[in-house]
Amino acid sequence: MKLPELWYSVVVRDHDGKVISRERRRAHSFLKQWNEFIWYFHFGGTIYPKITNGSPTKLDSHDNNFLMTGGEGDASLGIVIGTDDTPVAVDDYAMGTQIAEGYGAGQMHHLANTFGAPVVSPPSCGYSISRIIVNNSGGLITVRESGIYHQHSYRYGPVAYQFYFYYSCGVRDVFATPQDVPDGGSITVNYTLQVTA
Amino acid sequence: MIEGMKLTEGLSYEVMVRDRHGKVLERIVAPSQSYVNAWNQCLYVLNRHSSFTIIDTGGTGRSISYSSSVLRANAGAGEIGYGIRVGKGTTPVTINDYAMENPCGEGAGPEQFLHQAMAASSPAVAGPDCSFWLRRVMVNNSGSTISGIREIGCYVMMKYSPAYYGLGYRDVLPDPVSIPDGGSITVTYTLKVTI
Repeated sequence: MKLPELWYSVVVRDHDGKVISRERRRAHSFLKQWNEFIWYFHFGGTIYPKITNGSPTKLDSHDNNFLMTGGEGDASLGIVIGTDDTPVAVDDYAMGTQIAEGYGAGQMHHLANTFGAPVVSPPSCGYSISRIIVNNSGGLITVRESGIYHQHSYRYGPVAYQFYFYYSCGVRDVFATPQDVPDGGSITVNYTLQVTA
Repeated sequence: MIEGMKLTEGLSYEVMVRDRHGKVLERIVAPSQSYVNAWNQCLYVLNRHSSFTIIDTGGTGRSISYSSSVLRANAGAGEIGYGIRVGKGTTPVTINDYAMENPCGEGAGPEQFLHQAMAASSPAVAGPDCSFWLRRVMVNNSGSTISGIREIGCYVMMKYSPAYYGLGYRDVLPDPVSIPDGGSITVTYTLKVTI
């Protein structure tokens, strides 16, 4: 069966830029929220996907829905990583234990998400989203999970266009091998979404 | 007839043909082969918050920007710009398909169907799966049997105004089906994610 395929790759580098670990495999990690957003775009009814704090939150029509373009220092949107290795369940709504943005113990610095435009290479068409996350915490950090958070728009109250923006987790993966990122090193996570006829 | 196939994940379809009394004449259930370029390009536009040139169902490249209209498929009765369609094309699906090969029109004339409003279920979780379905009933009031229906697919909105539509997915049935006068064809697509 030909399916929408999601692939991820992880590359870990030391502080000199030398590649010290790689992992690439097909993800099986679209979560409930992903399909709820597809449903909403397709059909536009009333739905309450969970945001990343676990609260079911009404999804309202807004151009920003599904946005993944988290900028530098923004660990709430786009590719995120964590330290938990609990197997993925379809109703996961967040990373198990997300690594926060920063330079303190257990924290990493998130660079901006970047995108590769759709490329058609028959019989497939794919595009990619990537992010480099740097460890300047002063110690080694073991990364065991990655995922994608996307924007979720909620309109509250009687005032038109009074929107609140939250985040939903559409994708989560647990690595086959935990990835040790040394101090001064980085981890690059790339997701490729591909369809094949 | 293909029936009872185990569908584990992804996109699948069911085609039901009924006579004028509602009796099921034929049922086809199969995995879909058929997401095509525009589907992924629309997702890219939404995720990246950018514009991208996507070929519409008329074969023209259109600059599509992120908006809440992208991927919409909830067409009303009689609306055939978007939503599920059926046709007589037989050419196998390729990733570059941008339209149905030979779609049947809207109406009660020869080779036309009355397209009912799109319907959908809500997403539901069952074990490792989360799925929902989209469905459309198309009624043959043409006065005669419409035979040779071989392709199905779903058009999606890419831009609201001016309205541009793209092909989201398309399938070619293993065998042609015929819909008697007064009968109907119901196409159901199920979109599923599985851990």
